Amino acid sequence: MVLGALLLAAVAVSELEIVLTPAPARLNVQLAVQGDLPEAWTQALGGGAPVTLTYRLKLFRNRRFLWDQRLASHELQVKAQRDALTGTFSLVAELDGEILASGQAETLDQAVHWVTHPPTAEIMVPLRHEPLWLVARCEFMTRYKLLVFPSTVGTAWVTRSVPEAL
Amino acid sequence: MTPWHRTWLRWRRQNRFLIGLYLGLLLLVGLGYTLFATMRSLPPEELTNRLLTFLLWWFDLTLIAVVLFVLARNLFKLALERHLGLLGARFRTKLLLSYLVLIVVPTGLLFVLGVGLLSHAAASWFSAPVDGMAQSGAKIADSLRAETEARVRRDVSIVARELGKVEGERARTRELTRLQALLGTQLAGWYRDGTAVLELVDPRQRELLRLPPLDAEALAHGGVQRERFGGTVVVRAWEPIGDGSVAMIGEAVLPGLMQEQGRLAAAAAAYERLKLERPTITATTVLGFGALALVVVFAAMWLGLHLSRRFTEPLLALVATTQRVAGGDDLIEVPIPAEDEVGLLVSSFNAMVRRLRERDEELSTTVRRLDAVLGAVRTGVLTLDAERENVAANPAAAALLGMPHLATERVPLEALTLAGLGKLAEVIRGASGVSRGSLTIYPGGLARAIEIAVVPLGRLESPEGWVVALEDLTQLVRAQRLAAWSEVARRIADQIKNPLTPIRLAAERIARHVERRTPDLETVVPQGCRAIVEHVQAMQEMVDAFARYAKLPPMSRRPVAVSDLVRQVVSLYEGVRKGVEVRFADATGGVEVVLDPEQFRQVLTNLLDNAVEASPPGGTVTAATRCDDGLLELEVTDQGSGLGVEDPELLFQPFYSTKGRGSGVGLAVVQRIVSDHGGTVRLEHNRPNGVRAVVRIPGGEA
Repeated sequence: MVLGALLLAAVAVSELEIVLTPAPARLNVQLAVQGDLPEAWTQALGGGAPVTLTYRLKLFRNRRFLWDQRLASHELQVKAQRDALTGTFSLVAELDGEILASGQAETLDQAVHWVTHPPTAEIMVPLRHEPLWLVARCEFMTRYKLLVFPSTVGTAWVTRSVPEAL
Repeated sequence: MTPWHRTWLRWRRQNRFLIGLYLGLLLLVGLGYTLFATMRSLPPEELTNRLLTFLLWWFDLTLIAVVLFVLARNLFKLALERHLGLLGARFRTKLLLSYLVLIVVPTGLLFVLGVGLLSHAAASWFSAPVDGMAQSGAKIADSLRAETEARVRRDVSIVARELGKVEGERARTRELTRLQALLGTQLAGWYRDGTAVLELVDPRQRELLRLPPLDAEALAHGGVQRERFGGTVVVRAWEPIGDGSVAMIGEAVLPGLMQEQGRLAAAAAAYERLKLERPTITATTVLGFGALALVVVFAAMWLGLHLSRRFTEPLLALVATTQRVAGGDDLIEVPIPAEDEVGLLVSSFNAMVRRLRERDEELSTTVRRLDAVLGAVRTGVLTLDAERENVAANPAAAALLGMPHLATERVPLEALTLAGLGKLAEVIRGASGVSRGSLTIYPGGLARAIEIAVVPLGRLESPEGWVVALEDLTQLVRAQRLAAWSEVARRIADQIKNPLTPIRLAAERIARHVERRTPDLETVVPQGCRAIVEHVQAMQEMVDAFARYAKLPPMSRRPVAVSDLVRQVVSLYEGVRKGVEVRFADATGGVEVVLDPEQFRQVLTNLLDNAVEASPPGGTVTAATRCDDGLLELEVTDQGSGLGVEDPELLFQPFYSTKGRGSGVGLAVVQRIVSDHGGTVRLEHNRPNGVRAVVRIPGGEA
């Protein structure tokens, strides 16, 4: 028990906050990661390495078979890199490979805040006659257990019911 | 078996297929090695490509699945074969386990060691000194930029303050020119309403004129801007003057230093990225190494299994065939063509089978011939096993014994006893070596005189079987008996005729003298009567001898000390004839021999009589005895005139005499007694002169 509690305390768990704003045939998704990013990630960003946070968005409907449940899948990548000469951070957000927004940050904290609070992503929502769910998570980086077993470091999957557009 | 299966089996046995497979595996390993080498030379960005990791993962998983499938399949197969008790299952299990130990253990150790080394190497790439260098380089760049920023900020404050003190465009131009020269700034500017009124550039830095204009919105407030320009970083700071104008100062950080700093920063960034990707790099390397190890394990295991099958198949076929041959099946060859030592073994076995087949055929031919011979001969032959429990016979023996089924089947020896042939069975059962004898049997109630010989097959100590030869002597004995009677009648007639003539002559002479009344009647009558009496007496003696020969008393055997017996008889002949010496030489050692002492005494007496009578004055008669291998030998020698006949056997015939006197039954009696004892007697010349009579009686020592 004590060991478990210590382990839970030692591991900072990040959470993903999702705010969904419906629009006709569209859905505005505002994402925000609450909590600290992995130290290796921030250290790499501060050291000038190009780093990325990947937000995966999956739209589901209630169907009997698994392969018939997923409606759409999107990927929001937020890239950041520090220019060691100018000391600024260049930031780019891409939704499914298309640039959604870009910016600059003067400090590491600003850059981290920018990537953990990416611009609102607008995704297409098909016409429907049934409830939809949006399942999302943020992936920080890939680790490996026992050297070779890949394990994604990120937030847990968060499920939100997609509200109807007014 | 389908044609395709047969073709596959033929390919599997061909060396070309094996060599091709081996080369294919070598090519695969070579490709793996090339991939590994290429991975080492690839830049980190490509090395850490997720696609490569993905491919390696699936390659490893596929190999593991294949290895496990092959292993599980073979283990299951072997377990099933062992459960069913199939030939060679245990041997193949041992072979497979040995291969596994020989392959998996070293490869596993190498893999673990290699992974450890790789992990250690990967960790050592990101050592603390390198981290420190990278951080120091970044700090230097930050410090240099900060120092430039501070200087530019200070200068722009001075310029804004001084420009605020002067009015008019011309005056401000002069003042700005003066301050640029005074402060030594590379770029100085005066902006109004977001537009540049004046920009002064150090002649040595004219390229700064190509800088993009500052953002008008940003000019509303003071600020600093850092931007890359021409291989260096330009810092521009601006500050409002007060009347809507803005003063700007700019400076390019030392270009040479910035270029070096740029390289350092790029290297540091690459280092940080590599550090971030370190787990992926390690995983990719380990997966690649694991793929190689798995390829080696799979190749070695598959090759080992194939070789074990290739080695064991001919051996197992050979074992199966030898078992069939040993089990009594036909002599068949192993139909496996091979060229190695196993092939040599198979060829040797096949040659042995062919030779055995030839021998078998020869043996069959010989047996058929023997059967034909045995079926044709008139001598009866019985064959028995080593324990003499079962007996078979040829047709002659079956007919002789009155048991026709003996010719077609093997029956217990006891069946002879049940058929009234107990005496024959007893003789067969009691024979301890090569033994011969005569026997009268009564098959079907009829008397048959047979001569029997029992011979062991193989070594005497442990015979493999027994052969009994039966010669039916009934007709021969009958003929011999008739001949003997004829001979006896002839001799008796001769013996009787000899004295009858003088008797008749004597009687006729007496009658003639009585008729004539001759004066010498008184002399002739007594003479004639004496002659008649003498010849009648001779006839009486002859009849007595005949009676003695014909009516020998029944034999009564018992253990007798032969030396004492012979010595006793010899002592009776000392001085019997003047000038003839009778000696006794004993070499029996005083052993006792089973025989009839009275009859043996008769034998010795008859032989000594002849010897003493035949010896000349001064001659020596020697009686010698010895026992050798259970055989008693008695020799009586004299130094007389010799045998007197060419065929000594004639001397053993009754009433045959070369002396012209006596009954002529002495040697006949000797031969009969010796024959009754199962022995032999012969007469031969004694060197330099004389006769030697040799008597041999079996029965051994008591």
